[in-house]
Amino acid sequence: MSNSILDIETALRLKGFYFRTPSKVKGYKAGIHKSYYNGISPDFLDHKEYNKGDELKQIDWRLYGRHDRLYVKKFEDEVNMRWCILIDKSASMGYGDNKSTKLNYAKKLSATLAYLLLKQGDSVGLLGFSENDVEFIPPRSGSSFITTILDRLESFKPSGTTGIKEPILKALEAYSSEASFVIVSDFLIELEAIEESLKLIRHSRKEVSLFHVLHPDEIDFDFRGSVEFQDMETNVKVIVDTGSIRHTYQKRIGEFIERLKLICHENETRYVFSPINKSIENSLIQIADK
Amino acid sequence: MNLSFLSPLFLIGLGALALPIIAHLISRKSGVKKSFPAVKFLISSQGDLATRSKIKDIILLILRGLILVLIVLVFAKPAVFSFSTVQENTPKSLAIVIDNSLSMGYDDNFSRALRKAQDLIDSLPEGSFALISPLVPNNEQEPFLSQDKTQLKKVIKGIKLSYSFTENDKRIEDIYSKLQNAPNEKKTVALITDLQKNGWENEEFLRSWLEVIDVSEGQEASNHAVSRTQLKYENGSIIIEATVSNFSSDSVQELLTRTRLGDEEIREFFDIGPEDKSAKKFNFSMDKRETPSYGSVETSHDKLKSDDVRHFIINDQDHFKILIVDGDPREDSRLSETYFLARALETISELSDTNISIIDNDSFLDEDLSVYSLIFLANIGEITPRIAKELEEFANNGGTTVIFLGNRVRAGSYNTLLKNILPGELQNLQENRLSLLPEDSDIFSKDINEKVEQVNIEKLFNFAPYPDSNILISTTNNKPFLVKKDHGNGSVFIFTSTADASWNNFPITPVFLPVIKKIHDLTYFAKSKRRNYLIDETVNIEILQDTESTIVIDPSGQEFKLSFGAPEFDNTQLPGIYSVEEKGENTYKFAVNIDPKESNLEKISIPTIESNTAQKGGLVKVFKEIWRYFLWGVVALFVSEAAFRAIFSQ
Repeated sequence: MSNSILDIETALRLKGFYFRTPSKVKGYKAGIHKSYYNGISPDFLDHKEYNKGDELKQIDWRLYGRHDRLYVKKFEDEVNMRWCILIDKSASMGYGDNKSTKLNYAKKLSATLAYLLLKQGDSVGLLGFSENDVEFIPPRSGSSFITTILDRLESFKPSGTTGIKEPILKALEAYSSEASFVIVSDFLIELEAIEESLKLIRHSRKEVSLFHVLHPDEIDFDFRGSVEFQDMETNVKVIVDTGSIRHTYQKRIGEFIERLKLICHENETRYVFSPINKSIENSLIQIADK
Repeated sequence: MNLSFLSPLFLIGLGALALPIIAHLISRKSGVKKSFPAVKFLISSQGDLATRSKIKDIILLILRGLILVLIVLVFAKPAVFSFSTVQENTPKSLAIVIDNSLSMGYDDNFSRALRKAQDLIDSLPEGSFALISPLVPNNEQEPFLSQDKTQLKKVIKGIKLSYSFTENDKRIEDIYSKLQNAPNEKKTVALITDLQKNGWENEEFLRSWLEVIDVSEGQEASNHAVSRTQLKYENGSIIIEATVSNFSSDSVQELLTRTRLGDEEIREFFDIGPEDKSAKKFNFSMDKRETPSYGSVETSHDKLKSDDVRHFIINDQDHFKILIVDGDPREDSRLSETYFLARALETISELSDTNISIIDNDSFLDEDLSVYSLIFLANIGEITPRIAKELEEFANNGGTTVIFLGNRVRAGSYNTLLKNILPGELQNLQENRLSLLPEDSDIFSKDINEKVEQVNIEKLFNFAPYPDSNILISTTNNKPFLVKKDHGNGSVFIFTSTADASWNNFPITPVFLPVIKKIHDLTYFAKSKRRNYLIDETVNIEILQDTESTIVIDPSGQEFKLSFGAPEFDNTQLPGIYSVEEKGENTYKFAVNIDPKESNLEKISIPTIESNTAQKGGLVKVFKEIWRYFLWGVVALFVSEAAFRAIFSQ
């Protein structure tokens, strides 16, 4: 059952890619991420003048011979990373036909990412959230942990309204040390709330990536005639002449996406636009390195 | 100004206004419901659009409603009217009836009538309706009401002179009834006519709405016409007796009349007194003509040309000859056995172009009977076996023999020699005063059957009819008086009493002529193939092979195909010679002539009504149609609606 949300083919195609953080992390196991703890890794980073307390074995004697001054070699170390995948399971994520819902897409994307992260030796935690419902799996490493993640993802059903602040706080509480957050959501909430949440994460010196999951209907608004729409979370109803409103709607949703991108940019957050007709591979590759 | 509708029934269509309103209400409720995550964007998008959409919907609803209303109004023909006193310039509804009967062909009466009609149209006040109709209906379109003067004048130009007349009273009433749909209060029929008498059943035909315009301007019309042609055969010649009538109050001198038969033409001059007629015979040798043939009698033209010629057809039926055999001739013809019979047949022959020969018993024994069609034997005492055989052959060949008895008749001789053709057996004489009773027979009309009781019989032969005979008239004591028997292709009638008044008063009663005429007609029409007709008569076309390949060609050369299964031809609107053709070959011709009654231009005295004085002091509605403006409104609204939708959909 779990395999249905894990896109193995995509995962295999992305096998040669690595998901890295842009900044250094304090890892405690050897991994692919740059560590703040220099000197352990064989990778040369920089030189600095020798100070009292520096290890003598790190003095670059060649440079001393050339400049007649003592320089100490600095090395980078690569450490593992802790990830937290936050997946929006509010009612709005249930939009779509049968299995082509936004939540299903988010599950597939999260499952595949978790699988790849675990494969590269990172530890992965999962947090499913809606306004009043937060389900959290603390981070663990090891490939076998994917089963737990998949089972939990499978159990997510769309319900409730979207609330991002509470889950972020909970995740921050759980990830007191260095970590990278991946938020998969349609972000159909106030932009201010999103911005506030991102700032919270950034203040905690954690990396954030947003996967903005939308249904093509929400982007193109390809409806005909007069339709009565009911909001999936608030149950607010509105009758619109789709033909006359389409242009304005497209403009509004476009503005929203652009503003969300800007907020991400301002908060050093990677933004990935992920309509559900975009392949998981194309979405994930945007936060991957070769 | 008030508004009215000329076709108010169409206003029912205003109910259609409910359609856009219902559609609008339904669209406001929306039939499609859908859950959607990004409703907040819809709400924010709709902010100004909602108001915009509502305004758009309402404006479109109003526009579409207006379009429907205007379309309905266009059909309902709105017209504004005001009340106005009746004046010369008051709009009215006028039916102009142009007399196109034959008599209107006199001089330039018809063209003057057309001009007068055009003048009437020109003088119609604004807002008037008019209808143009010929007095003699033709096959053109039905008269229609219109305000368009150009169109009305076009109709006037299309009216053609007819060669006949109609029932004027009924026709004018019909046309007036067509005016009832017209909106104007004042409705008038203007009859432009020469007031010729024909066609008027009621000379007192006076109506408040009828205005008669005498196009002849009261002038007396002098006219002559070829009123009759009669064909006779005498001594190997064909004699065409032409009668020319003078219908004027002045005498006509030396009127040239030409009779043509084939290539031959004979000219004669007629002197005819005022309101008199004159007949002359034109003798053509039979050798020179090929039968059947046709010809015409034509006089010098007067102002009414169409009746100055009369066409005729010569065919075998013109050989209808009657033989009267007088068994008891006297020097004083009034005492002869056949005096009454001959007078009756002479009268009948005037109508049917028949030829009568009267001979005595001796001549009869040597007579060739085959040239006759009808033979009357009156009190014939001597019958030879040869003549008996000839009489039998005569009957076999379709001839009719009528036998009157008398004191010279020997019953035994008749019963023996004429056994094969007699309708029964002659018995003894009976003397008794008897009256006659009609038998249940459809040969004689009801009128004859009623009058037959006036006949008194003093003496008659008792007669025992054979079973295949029909007793047509019998006496009050059930003795047969007139018996008929069919023999071969012909028939034999026997009266059991005399043809003169010696044994009965039959010849001097009013029944005698009709009975003899009936017997004559039965023979005449059985043998006759009619070839001469009057205008508008229906001709029963004789079909030799099949109807489908038969055509009739009128004098103008126009071809008419007969409809399947109905060999009747009723397009006899032109005088002249008509040809019947089957499979491209001429089978026979027939002549169509105008009714000579039309040649008499005597006028009636319908008074001309200058105007309808009864309405002069009152108020009338003056209508002005405005539906055209509504039609333009519809077009403008359609354009506006399309433009509005285009603007709002952007």
